[in-house]
Amino acid sequence: MNVQQRILDFVKRCNWFLFFVGSAFALINQSPKFAAGFLAGGLIVTANFHLLARTLKGSLAPGRLASSNVVLAKYYIRFFFSGLIIFFLMSRHVVDPLGLLIGLSVVVVSITLATLCELTKHIFREAVEG
Amino acid sequence: MEALQFFVVSSFAAALAIAIAAFGCGLAQGMGLKAAVEGIARNPESSGKVTVTMLIGLAMIESLCIYALVVALILIYAHPQAAAIAELLAK
Repeated sequence: MNVQQRILDFVKRCNWFLFFVGSAFALINQSPKFAAGFLAGGLIVTANFHLLARTLKGSLAPGRLASSNVVLAKYYIRFFFSGLIIFFLMSRHVVDPLGLLIGLSVVVVSITLATLCELTKHIFREAVEG
Repeated sequence: MEALQFFVVSSFAAALAIAIAAFGCGLAQGMGLKAAVEGIARNPESSGKVTVTMLIGLAMIESLCIYALVVALILIYAHPQAAAIAELLAK
């Protein structure tokens, strides 16, 4: 398995792990609005990531190239619905903004963790070889 | 009058925030996509590696735009000082 695929697998697993652990922590220790914000933010961003992965694989794999219009339509629909959901959550004060912001950071934290893990492996491999 | 000015400036800041973020993220995503498509066109076998790397990059860029959207919406709908300003307006 190459390094890119390994990072992607790690990010996918870490997304769900952080989402469930963070949600459980928020439900137990924080207010219901904060927990709702974390749940909504985490779900939006994780679903977005998986949909983006599906769209990109469909559009860039040479064996099964999708029409560019379909890719664009999917991209805008996904972005429109994400924005709409966040707008309703914020404008109706359904969730705590801080919880939502932390929930939306799930993917960024996963990618940062994956990068740090690979970097650590790389540094230690070089140290052993050196 | 000053309180009203505060709300006007907040709305303006929100609009400016999302405009700048969308501009930057659009530019960055376009550049990333251009480089990825060029790479795949030169070497079609590398499409898997390029797609995965680009997916992670695009997810990071997109997150920034979503953050900007949330901050803009906070400025409009959930400003931390909104209650205090509303009280000032009522007086």
